[in-house]
Amino acid sequence: MTTATTTAVRAPLGRQLRSELRWIIRRPRTFFGLLSLCLVPIVAGVGMWVAMDGDGPLGPGLAAIIAGNGLVLPVFTLFLSLPLLLPLIGAIWAADGIAGEAQHGTLRGLLLAPVGRVRLLAIKAFGVAAMTLIATALMALVGAVTGAILFGGQGMLTLSGTTLPFVEAVGRIALTVLLVTVQVWGVAAVALAISTTTEHPLVVMATTLGGVILFNVLGVFEALDWLHPYLITSSWNSLADVMRDPLPTDQLWRSTALAGCYVLIGLSLAAMRMATKDN
Amino acid sequence: MTASTSARESAATAAGSTPVLAARTRGLRKVYGRTVAVDRVDLDVPEGAVLGMLGPNGSGKTTTIRMLLGLVRPTEGEVELLGEALPDGAATALPHVGALVEGPGFHPFLSGRENLLRAAAFEPLLAGGAIKRAVEDALERVGLAGAAHRRYRGYSLGMKQRLGLAAALLVPRKLIVLDEPTNGLDPAGTREVRKVIADLHGAGSTVLVSSHLLSEIEATCTHVAVLHRGTVVAQGELAELLRADNSALLVSTPQVDEALNALRAGRISARPNDDGVRVELIGTDAPEVLRTLVEAGVPVHEARRARTGLEELFARLTEAEDADHHLSAVDTIEEGTR
Repeated sequence: MTTATTTAVRAPLGRQLRSELRWIIRRPRTFFGLLSLCLVPIVAGVGMWVAMDGDGPLGPGLAAIIAGNGLVLPVFTLFLSLPLLLPLIGAIWAADGIAGEAQHGTLRGLLLAPVGRVRLLAIKAFGVAAMTLIATALMALVGAVTGAILFGGQGMLTLSGTTLPFVEAVGRIALTVLLVTVQVWGVAAVALAISTTTEHPLVVMATTLGGVILFNVLGVFEALDWLHPYLITSSWNSLADVMRDPLPTDQLWRSTALAGCYVLIGLSLAAMRMATKDN
Repeated sequence: MTASTSARESAATAAGSTPVLAARTRGLRKVYGRTVAVDRVDLDVPEGAVLGMLGPNGSGKTTTIRMLLGLVRPTEGEVELLGEALPDGAATALPHVGALVEGPGFHPFLSGRENLLRAAAFEPLLAGGAIKRAVEDALERVGLAGAAHRRYRGYSLGMKQRLGLAAALLVPRKLIVLDEPTNGLDPAGTREVRKVIADLHGAGSTVLVSSHLLSEIEATCTHVAVLHRGTVVAQGELAELLRADNSALLVSTPQVDEALNALRAGRISARPNDDGVRVELIGTDAPEVLRTLVEAGVPVHEARRARTGLEELFARLTEAEDADHHLSAVDTIEEGTR
């Protein structure tokens, strides 16, 4: 017989989540990652602004489209970053969340505190999810401000040829932020699952980015069109629907549901692995 | 809590029954691929004891500790920690357990204090308002208060080890598990760790400390478990284990040659010693040795059991094992490298 102890106790969830977020934000690479995300809309905006003044092929045409349409810039840069930059940033957070903690020997400490294994995964998933939302929102904010300063921010010219008023344009930007965030969550959830299998964050990042690139390649072949509805990357083009007027929602729902499936599958695999993992 | 704990322990000891255990394993076995890391480990950690887990590198100390703490799932066998069967009872038992396993684990970009604050945020027994105080106390206790603001990246090995110890001491614990706690420490640091262990023992905590340094175990522990090739080859109270293993008799006599001749005639192995002969008690016992000597007319001034150090016991146990399992050892190595 060994002595009996008291009942199970847990540290408050709110305190654990705050600690996790503070830890991610304090990390130097988070700062540089967010900084690079802020630079994308600024560089893209300044590039357009310079091209607009010139006599090159983009000159007058681009000027006609973009003038007074600065609020297009955040949407444009989010789409520009979705294929590679945002999945990379999401993968970094997912990689550091579990593989990185294992590498530093801190995962043991958390499990010994103890934080339950599945609860720890939930905390990690929350951290990655929150940071992804912060990243896309920040990017959109910097894009909107840059666009408004350089091109004017009265409204938004849609792909359908209409111009949305300011309030609705802001609504479309917010919608884009949410849609893009959910897509990155899909990738990051799979990255989190990979993260539970290794002690090397670089392996997680390389595998995740390799997967995204592979999916992009698979999406090109027409012979594989039966596969395309299941590829998360193949649905990303349809997000441009957010720029149409009136807003067609079919494809947006479909791609969001698909990303949701990736989140479910990724987190389930990660939970299964966490529950039995040796540390 | 501490008072009732020691009361229960002394009650058990007084009654002469099995002592209350802080941790216990039965038939513990862990296999990685084709390598058997730990096999048939029945470890008893009596409550209030300082148990030293002694073994050469690769003897299964850390694997056993990791299973004891629920970090690793045993292939076979059971673990009971503070009365709770693992893994189900982990949430109940682990808050009362502090541990430093496989070296300190912290984030290089955070300061020592920030690292401890992060660890403290996940400690179930710490109320939100008590976190700051607990962190400062722990830093003070391991002598890191002056360097707490510096980044962990710049810490020396000894400072890292101290911070790991501080994390284990954030909350008053019933059981503290320290895996090689003096690794990388200078003599002063080693003394401090010994003092911390003694303080914990004095406060009624149970301490499980592993080491491959025998002097370390001899200096700090009340109990010892010797691991070799993944199995416990000896365990019990330190003093008892030393006594039980005295298989030599030291006989002091002025007539060494006569004594040796007499003993050899009686087929008893002996060799000259400082002021007499040393008799190995193999296939014989002390009365027979003395009778042989006295009957041969050898004057005996004094006869006493040879007190072997733990070092000698340890060496003998591991050497005997090596001799016994020489062939299987070769097999294991081949399997390990394959």
